Amino acid sequence: MLTYNSPLTDMVDLAATFEENAMEAAAMVWRCERTPLALRKAVGLAAHKARGIVLSEPEFLGDTLIAGLRGLAGVIARPEDDQLATADAGVTEAFAGVASTGSVCVALGRPLVSATSLLMPLNIVLLARERIVARPRDLFDPDCLKGEGLKRNLVFITGPSATADMGPLVHGVHGPHRLLVLLLE
Amino acid sequence: MAETEPKPAAKGVKVDLPRDVANKSDKDHLLRAIRMALDIESPTVRSNTQHFNRSRYRAVAEFPDYDALKDQTRRIKEKSIANLPELVQILKSSVRGHGGHVVVANTAEDACRYILDVCHWRTAKLVVKGKSITSEEIRLNHILEADGIEVVESDLAEFILQLADEQPSHFLAPALHYSRERITALFKRKFQTELPLDTGEALTRFARERLRDKFLYADVGVTGANLIAADTGTLMLVESEGNIRLASFLPPVHIAIAGIEKIVPTRQEMAPFLDLLSASAVGQKMSVYTSFLSPPLTDPAFALPGKPRKPREFHLVLIDNGRMRMRDDPVFKETLYCIRCGACLNSCANFQTVGGHAFGGETYSGGIGGSWEAGTSKLENARFSELCTGCTRCVNQCPVRIDIPWLNVNLGERLNQTEEPSALGNALGLVTGAAQDDRSTPVSKMFFGNYHYFARWGTRFISISNALSGGGKRAEPGAEAEEKEKVSPARRLMERWVGLDHRRALPPFPKQTLVEAARRLEAPSSKGRETKVVLFADVFTNYGMARRGLATIEVLRALGADVVVSESVPEGRAALSQGMIATAKQHVRRATMELDSHVSDGRDIVVVEPSSLSMFRRDFSHLLDSKERFERFRSRAFDPVEYVALMLAKSGRRPQDFFDISKSKVGYRLFFHAHCQQKTIGCAEPTEALLREIGFDVATSNVECCGMAGSFGYKKDFYELSMAVGADLFGQVVLQDRNGGARQLIASGTSCTEQLHAGFDRTVLHPIELLASLLGVQEPSAAKVEEEEEELESDLESVKRARREESKS
Repeated sequence: MLTYNSPLTDMVDLAATFEENAMEAAAMVWRCERTPLALRKAVGLAAHKARGIVLSEPEFLGDTLIAGLRGLAGVIARPEDDQLATADAGVTEAFAGVASTGSVCVALGRPLVSATSLLMPLNIVLLARERIVARPRDLFDPDCLKGEGLKRNLVFITGPSATADMGPLVHGVHGPHRLLVLLLE
Repeated sequence: MAETEPKPAAKGVKVDLPRDVANKSDKDHLLRAIRMALDIESPTVRSNTQHFNRSRYRAVAEFPDYDALKDQTRRIKEKSIANLPELVQILKSSVRGHGGHVVVANTAEDACRYILDVCHWRTAKLVVKGKSITSEEIRLNHILEADGIEVVESDLAEFILQLADEQPSHFLAPALHYSRERITALFKRKFQTELPLDTGEALTRFARERLRDKFLYADVGVTGANLIAADTGTLMLVESEGNIRLASFLPPVHIAIAGIEKIVPTRQEMAPFLDLLSASAVGQKMSVYTSFLSPPLTDPAFALPGKPRKPREFHLVLIDNGRMRMRDDPVFKETLYCIRCGACLNSCANFQTVGGHAFGGETYSGGIGGSWEAGTSKLENARFSELCTGCTRCVNQCPVRIDIPWLNVNLGERLNQTEEPSALGNALGLVTGAAQDDRSTPVSKMFFGNYHYFARWGTRFISISNALSGGGKRAEPGAEAEEKEKVSPARRLMERWVGLDHRRALPPFPKQTLVEAARRLEAPSSKGRETKVVLFADVFTNYGMARRGLATIEVLRALGADVVVSESVPEGRAALSQGMIATAKQHVRRATMELDSHVSDGRDIVVVEPSSLSMFRRDFSHLLDSKERFERFRSRAFDPVEYVALMLAKSGRRPQDFFDISKSKVGYRLFFHAHCQQKTIGCAEPTEALLREIGFDVATSNVECCGMAGSFGYKKDFYELSMAVGADLFGQVVLQDRNGGARQLIASGTSCTEQLHAGFDRTVLHPIELLASLLGVQEPSAAKVEEEEEELESDLESVKRARREESKS
């Protein structure tokens, strides 16, 4: 088994480090209470002008917490593929967060996870505070999050899609233009 | 001033386009490509590569375990390449285990044929591609397009290049040579649009709108892969734009193309690369998207209304195309460790100045690019690797510790061996004692590689040789045309025969070499002097900069060392820089034999010229017979100022108590330019720190290399490039001079000194010369230094006299 030298003494508060690094990567981070009402309020505020909101199927947070979002104005219950292509916001659950980079790690495979994290201009990611790890490499440790990081199809997302190919740095290329992480306390 | 599309050339003047000079299998194409890049692409390439480079330094500084991570990635790659045939078999069964298809293509043609077949089976009309340098290598687009399939490059940089019909100029940022203004002009011309498109946002939106539909309707998505885990069949895909995610998610068929060297044994072993790749590539903690996929994906493929939803399909095309041959090559096997992060490109001063359209071939570019071109196409296509000056700045930046300069020295050797031996080259080889294996080396390289021989004879006939070589004299800047007329016939002949540019000044040959001058010094008694040193009389110091050697003796003796001077023998640097490895080995054997008795006597070795010292610290590892032998010399070889700092620390003395700054005749404000190889072997920091502790106000250059890199800047073919590289250094000097007046220039390298002279025509001191001037008591040897200086003056006078007589005649 590999061992990694990863001194973590500088990351006492993983959530605070995550927040700082995510914002440095041009993501927005809102801290949010872990209640259906607070979550509904936060998503409603973030996506208040959205013409279509698509929710991916939750896996770690529990259906009760997400259920409140289904009643939000603009939410498309069973979206067709052409609606996915034109919706304005997608809500995705994070498998993990990474403090040192400010990345959210999304597990692919469940319905609409790829689409909500990729196709819409606004991606809202729900991250449970206890699922933040110190460094990306930690997710490759069989002892971390039950070793799921070694088994799943994953994508680490660090800020909104970006390019510097057109001269200056531009956010919003083929993927979301804005990335909002709701850090669930 | 805003950049625009390059203006049309005057009638009758042929303007090279990047494609015209992509193949550099002959020298003429290489020189034309350099001119093209300097004329058109240089400012944008410089700005972008230097931005990446600065960001990379910042990002890796945040890793507390950077070196340990690099060791780890290196070990994983070594293991992977060693076990490659087994890993391919494991990977095949992993991919097939989740319903994917996998094929190993022996050649580029085999790979393209397979992909074309997949497209035919699925009646594909539209293929959308993510960035894949390997697909460039196999010329996939041409094959598919020739079959009537529309191929759309979706990475914005590749999109630009597809429009412009150009080859990539960088692994990672293929259109790095395009400024925003040039992209605007290109889009307006190609799309015939009146939209202003005058911002990065507008251009990005414009491209995105055109590409989104292509993704939605594509039949096949093609991506590359940064790494592939054999045990799980997992692809690691790194990107910023999201196009690779779209290409692997939206179309029903996903084809991933990757060189077989991308396989690592396990998914777990991808972890250290995850940390290092983005930081080394673009200086980010992590790229926007890093995916770990074991395709085919389980969620259904996208289907717009009216289109059938097709089942997902995945094909992994592993490409050999010469890689297994590279694996069998003891030197070029190391190329397969490359993870194509581009750190070596961004940290290379020549690459920063001309980019990959000059310093690159049809697919691969930069220092590592030559080995890739030679390995995947043919040796002659690696001729651009001559732009690797061996400055070694890439060595510490490579996340898998590839010794890229060594690869390029080997390419140089193999290219030399393809040359037809010439009578003059043979004669030079014979008289200089070059190794038989190197006898087909071109004349110019034979001259530079055996500089010690010519320097020795030059010193024996000093008046004539200084007159002939114009020792120390340079054509005045800005008066080039007139000065050219004044170039001596001897220099003209040297330019024609050996490629030594007439605009470069050669250090005047001294009346006394370092060895001769040191013998005349009155050596203090060695009694009670515990620290024993042998000053290695490297060729550059012995025959060109003897003052520096004498200053070293003076300072070390003042500190209490017992110093002797070795015979002057070449240590192999010059030969190695010309790809003459067999000759370099001969030189190394002579040098180490010369030093053996001194080392056995307990002496440390001090080497003044940084490029020579770098041989002891790095290159001897390739040239000596055993690791023990290498270690014997490596561990005892020091830079003079580094050694001074060690002696002071050992004796518990503070630098400011030993060196009296009030004696400085050059003021307190210094501009220190460290030699490229000096930085790589870690000898620049001690010099800088010592000068500061003494009390100097030290400004430093932050260029990777001044553009000389030993003989490179002296060559006629590369003079313009060398001066263009030097412009950064000159600018930094000017900037530092702006507040408080001119600073004293300090440089450790002989050729750096020449470059600074070329830019400023000011005195340049070696730091050890400055230290010698600050010693408390003038030792008798100081008088000798003065004498030496007078002799140099007299040499210059003789040169002037010879010039006057020549012009009269």
